[in-house]
Amino acid sequence: MTPRSARAARKSGSEQVSPHLYGLRRGTTTVLNLIAILFAAFILGPLLWLLFSATKSQAEIYDSFGFWFAGPFRLWHNLSALGHNVSGTGVFVHWLGNTLVYAVGGAVGATILSALAGYGFSRYRFRGANTMFLLVMATLLVPLTAIALPLFLFYSKVGLVNSVWGMILPSMVSPIGIYLMRTFIDASVPKELIEAARLDGASELWIFWRIGLPLAFPGLMTVLLISIVAIWNNYFLPLIIFSKSGLYPLTVGLSALSQAAETGTKAELVPVLITGGLVTVVPLILLFLLLERYFRGGMLQGSVTG
Amino acid sequence: MSQQLIHSPALKPAAGTRTGPPRRPSSRGSSLSRRERTGAVFIAPHMLMLGLFMLVPTVYAVYSSLFATKLIGGRQYVGLENYRTVLHSGEFWSGVARVLVFGAIQVPLTLGIAFAFAALFDAGVIRGSRFFRTVYFMPFAVPGVVASVMWSFLLLPGFGAYAKALKALGLGHVDFFSSRLILPTIMLIVIWEWTGYNMTILYTSLKSIPKEVTEAAIMEGASLWRIILHIKLPMVMPSIVMLVFLNAVGALQLFTEPSILASFQPQAISFGFTPTLFVYHTAVGSGEYELGAAAAVVLALIIGAISVAGFAVRRRNGEFR
Repeated sequence: MTPRSARAARKSGSEQVSPHLYGLRRGTTTVLNLIAILFAAFILGPLLWLLFSATKSQAEIYDSFGFWFAGPFRLWHNLSALGHNVSGTGVFVHWLGNTLVYAVGGAVGATILSALAGYGFSRYRFRGANTMFLLVMATLLVPLTAIALPLFLFYSKVGLVNSVWGMILPSMVSPIGIYLMRTFIDASVPKELIEAARLDGASELWIFWRIGLPLAFPGLMTVLLISIVAIWNNYFLPLIIFSKSGLYPLTVGLSALSQAAETGTKAELVPVLITGGLVTVVPLILLFLLLERYFRGGMLQGSVTG
Repeated sequence: MSQQLIHSPALKPAAGTRTGPPRRPSSRGSSLSRRERTGAVFIAPHMLMLGLFMLVPTVYAVYSSLFATKLIGGRQYVGLENYRTVLHSGEFWSGVARVLVFGAIQVPLTLGIAFAFAALFDAGVIRGSRFFRTVYFMPFAVPGVVASVMWSFLLLPGFGAYAKALKALGLGHVDFFSSRLILPTIMLIVIWEWTGYNMTILYTSLKSIPKEVTEAAIMEGASLWRIILHIKLPMVMPSIVMLVFLNAVGALQLFTEPSILASFQPQAISFGFTPTLFVYHTAVGSGEYELGAAAAVVLALIIGAISVAGFAVRRRNGEFR
């Protein structure tokens, strides 16, 4: 970071320049606002379509106007179909349960490992620390997609294929979580406080548990949330390591369902697919709207510190 | 696209190494070495998992790629034969070319739109910017699988709401799944998914520019466009460069969107439409795991080479400090 932007970062709390100072013409401002509205429509369009289509029958989904209700209101009927194996590929509710287990298990694990490692990197100096940290940062550029097939080959050697742990354990490795925790602890856990606790004879673990973690709580929330989203949306890894449909998470289940809906002759699969898509998306969007400041916290953290 | 959940910390990779741990307190040597060990203990669980679930599988995959499972004789050492097969596969290289074209168009488009909105929101010239920022970021919470399913239905020739709307507007019958339009269609989906995420990061970066800079520029009589393009854009360049890398790595690994579109229009997506599809179809589809591993290694090397080359160029231009 340049000294200039470092100074900038410290001043990020100040108010912004009053927009009328730019002297934009009224027409220009109107056009800019219209463009923003159009892009919002582009973003919201598919989501609204998903919402309306989840209330329709298969025929209505294809034939009626996509952005309003049509025919009898079938949302509850469509939702109840999620509890049955209508497609022959598996039961949606099981996939939802699997995703919850993978997301919560993996994210809690990632948060614990990141908190420990972030604290270690931030508040201790030891031999090899920089090399280790560089190694962690290097894995940042290796998405899970690239590691999925190697993981599968390794799993078939050690017997982790079609195992819940095969999904949860690798999801706990979160380089971004460590980076976030390190910068967060750098900024919010004063060294003086740690030194004072040491002088009082507190053990290192006690200091971490009673001083470090509480002060880093917003950071912990951020790491937990972004890990949940990452695991919830992961498609390639579970696609490769699971061959039993009873173990599928939502993403792989929906993909199997979309294949069955398009190729199969069984009727009324499309409403199941669409309602399933809605049920997949709604929890994360709610989580995001309710805890938006923690999601944003992750972004702010990186730009303000460092 | 399989971008990782990387927030802006990634924008300053060197930052973590600089904000160092506290200086050693001048206490006795024994407590020092004990404290040193404590630090290592804190990072040990993660490093163990990193080794087990990233390094070991990678090494094992490279090792496996040197074998082949033959009908007679089982698994045999074949040296670099799998690599020769991959490197001579026209299917593989056409996939590589396709994702390069895809990335060369999609990444600048995504970042251009993201920066434009970030700059306008930052300047405060759009009313209700908080609402827009929330809406734009929402696709981040939508899995690529669901995004692809929604867009497939909306664009379905003859049936899709958007395809019908285009027809009503007099644009005729547009087949978004034709071989000519399939790549732009995937770009549309990926732009829908990732623009808001990039916008949010750039908005955060822009917010950290002190308002005195903007005020001084206004006093000098600079227009909003001049301020955005000539003052603010250069100041957030490091963030943009990192986002180019992250988006490009995601684009080169393109998989989810084409694989879902394939279930709607199988003829539009070939066996090796993207290199990751090639790896998946070779390994899981055809059961040639060793060949798939070799293709995965080649793909990883291509992506690594592009990243390193990019870093080298930027470093020579003095972008990273």
